[in-house]
Amino acid sequence: MNLSPEDIKRILLEALVILALGVVVGLSVNYRLVFNAFAGKPVVPPARSVAEQAASAYPLPLSLEEVRQAVAEGALLVDARIEDVYREGHIAGARSLPLADVDAYLADFLAQVAPERQLILYCSGYGCPDSFDLGLRLIDEGYLDVWVYEGGMPEWHAAGLPVEKGGAAR
Amino acid sequence: MSLSWKTLVYHGARLILGAIFVYAGWIKAADVAAFAGNIANYQILPYSWNFLVAATLPYIEVLAGVLLIVNQRVRPAALVIGGLNLVFILALISVMARGLDIDCGCFRPDAETKTTAAEALVRDLGIMVLVVLTWWLRGAGRRTN
Repeated sequence: MNLSPEDIKRILLEALVILALGVVVGLSVNYRLVFNAFAGKPVVPPARSVAEQAASAYPLPLSLEEVRQAVAEGALLVDARIEDVYREGHIAGARSLPLADVDAYLADFLAQVAPERQLILYCSGYGCPDSFDLGLRLIDEGYLDVWVYEGGMPEWHAAGLPVEKGGAAR
Repeated sequence: MSLSWKTLVYHGARLILGAIFVYAGWIKAADVAAFAGNIANYQILPYSWNFLVAATLPYIEVLAGVLLIVNQRVRPAALVIGGLNLVFILALISVMARGLDIDCGCFRPDAETKTTAAEALVRDLGIMVLVVLTWWLRGAGRRTN
């Protein structure tokens, strides 16, 4: 059962080879996604055009400050949480489009919201993948300017920014 | 006498472990962007790095899992899986320490779903037991390898 230093060396080396092979295969298959993610410069707010965003095919994140600015410039906030939670309190002005029932509401959404409109999706904060998943869906449906506000409801609420109750998914 | 049960436990642990990681890697490889979102929830890596990890981790898991299943390079594969698992455990502990709610209850906002990080931790500890069993019993009844 005792391992010689040669055995340990070989096991470590082979383990590294497994890691390296996995990385090589993974990057070969997904190089575009990774390249886009790194080209997206998510930490630097300005200079991300609609075209850039559309080319990336997945929603990039916006900070709280960026969200406030974008909303002031006409962006639409979209709440991806379920309708009950939306009714209990949501970001003022946000429209409900629950990921859980997206198929039921999507037709109206498509009819009422233009594909060029900047959309900022949020849900229950960093712990919540729904806004991201909804973003992928909306990009699939042809929306060109889709972003995710990862701080979501908790960060907005903690910042003391306006919150509304009531309303319904539509 | 002890040889046979050791061999049995070894093959059982190896096959279960391999199957878990092939499955886990496979479903994540199928939707890398969504997996990147999941990693982002941990708030550990810079945004773009989540995609790098999401692009590569599933393939490492599948590769190591396949090696376990076909009974080749078992200890190196177990080492890789054990190492990854250790990282997962640390990440989960970090999530719990920071009080992050990685299951948002977005679908079912009931309180029970909030134990997800702890449940995942228990599962990962179970996986660690399989890793240790596979590693130690690899030599049972045959040359160390």
